[in-house]
Amino acid sequence: MRVVIVEDQALLREGIVALLRENGVEVVGQAEDAPGLLRLINGHKPDLAIVDVRLPPTFTDEGIKAAIEARGDHPGLGILILSQYVEPVYTSELLANGSGGVGYLLKERVADIPAFLDAIGRVAEGGTALDREVVAELVQGKSGDSQLAELTPRESEVLSLMAEGRTNAGIAETLVVTPGAVEKHISSIFSKLDLPATGADHRRVLAVLTYLQATV
Amino acid sequence: MPARRHYDPDTIFATQAAVSAAMGFFVTLIWGLTGAGTFWPVWVWFGLAIPLAINFSWWYSRQFVGRRKWLALHMSLMATASGALILIWLLSGGGGFWPGIPIVCLLVLLACHLFLSENWERLLASGREKELTQRVDQLTRTRKGALEAQAAQLRQVERDLHDGAQSRLVALSMQLARAESKLDDQPEAKELVRQARAEAGEAIAELRDLARGIAPPVLADRGLAEAARSLGTRTPGGVTVESTLEGRPPPVVETGAYFVIAESLTNATKHAPNAPVTVTLGEGDGQLNIVVRDEGPGGADPRGSGLNGLKHRVEALDGRMGISSPPGGGTVIRVDLPCE
Repeated sequence: MRVVIVEDQALLREGIVALLRENGVEVVGQAEDAPGLLRLINGHKPDLAIVDVRLPPTFTDEGIKAAIEARGDHPGLGILILSQYVEPVYTSELLANGSGGVGYLLKERVADIPAFLDAIGRVAEGGTALDREVVAELVQGKSGDSQLAELTPRESEVLSLMAEGRTNAGIAETLVVTPGAVEKHISSIFSKLDLPATGADHRRVLAVLTYLQATV
Repeated sequence: MPARRHYDPDTIFATQAAVSAAMGFFVTLIWGLTGAGTFWPVWVWFGLAIPLAINFSWWYSRQFVGRRKWLALHMSLMATASGALILIWLLSGGGGFWPGIPIVCLLVLLACHLFLSENWERLLASGREKELTQRVDQLTRTRKGALEAQAAQLRQVERDLHDGAQSRLVALSMQLARAESKLDDQPEAKELVRQARAEAGEAIAELRDLARGIAPPVLADRGLAEAARSLGTRTPGGVTVESTLEGRPPPVVETGAYFVIAESLTNATKHAPNAPVTVTLGEGDGQLNIVVRDEGPGGADPRGSGLNGLKHRVEALDGRMGISSPPGGGTVIRVDLPCE
């Protein structure tokens, strides 16, 4: 797996690079700003770009804009946004634009090394990795929904993990249940929420997200 | 208490005019019947006209209020006096125009009255009132300055928290994670490092909540409309945001407006759960206009804690707030915040 990193704070950038290299991930390029991201992608054709939201010169949302542009120009490129905060508007924009794997994680998640490696692996392969806080906000926004209210507590847990981008096996491991039990929960969720049942993990996640993001 | 008889000024004036005209006609008739010698009735007319003119002056000035009323009375009485003097001069056979001097004096008096009347406030305000007016101006200006400085400082604090302390803590927890992964052969040390990493994680989350409480990043990054949409994604009933804003209001107004919207939506969620909400943002006459409308049951209590808190927030920015919440008719909160 070939990865590039765009992060303006050297301390963090070097920390992530060291952490990835120690765990056998090939970091092929580093940059500090949005033009740097586009240059790295054109030059190195990576599988995944890890991008900070706030980048110079204005330190607002350059990272998101650059990531959306890169996703448009390079179908199949995985984009993992690392941010200090959760912002549903940014997540929606990212998911709505382009194809390929996509992720939005809080920066401190990097410190949970196995989970972080799992997330970048998923995104590089075209899957999804959303921070549980992003999912929590989306679920909160739909908390008044009567269909969502029909889910059992266990099903709600499974739904949240699905929205984060976990596979059935990942969900089974997290909840300490058998994959068969997870599958049963998932089919029940799909029927309660009228979601199209589909095998591919990424499409499944997108269906869940579409449901969670739909307003009214 | 016996009812006092109330005379209508119009009736009094009309009666006086009618009586005067009748008397004038009557003496003229007598003059005609007695051989039409020297035309003496003119003096009777003169005598009747003076009180009539005075009464007219009073009647006429009634349509004005305050100092204008006294000015009008003065003017018409002066006209009466001047007219009388000129008449006397004419009736006494003309000659040197002696009424000129008193008329000029009367005009000077009237000019003085006019000047005083028009400049009364300014002349009065020279003392304590003027001082207070200046003080209010100064306080309004400095309060605005203080609020703006505070808003700018808070945004800087928010940025510093993200880029400074929070970043360092993230870097720290990454290093702890790397250390942890190298301590597989020392389970006790590994557990201590894991706990340290968990603590760092808590600290990061607390800092993030603190920073968000000051101003959410999306507000600084994208402005009010996007920040309102972001709030909407957290509101169960669904929120539509309509904005005609072109520029961005000053940070202090923008942040204030953001929290006004946030609190209105919290109120709406509490009292009208699942009701659709519309947030309308506009600007005009140097004001930022915010309207939050929900399709809930209405009947909101303006003295309730939620709306009261909102009112204090609006007042702190010198804004105005109006609430319409008829039972069964939804709730509309309208807030205008000055931007200049």
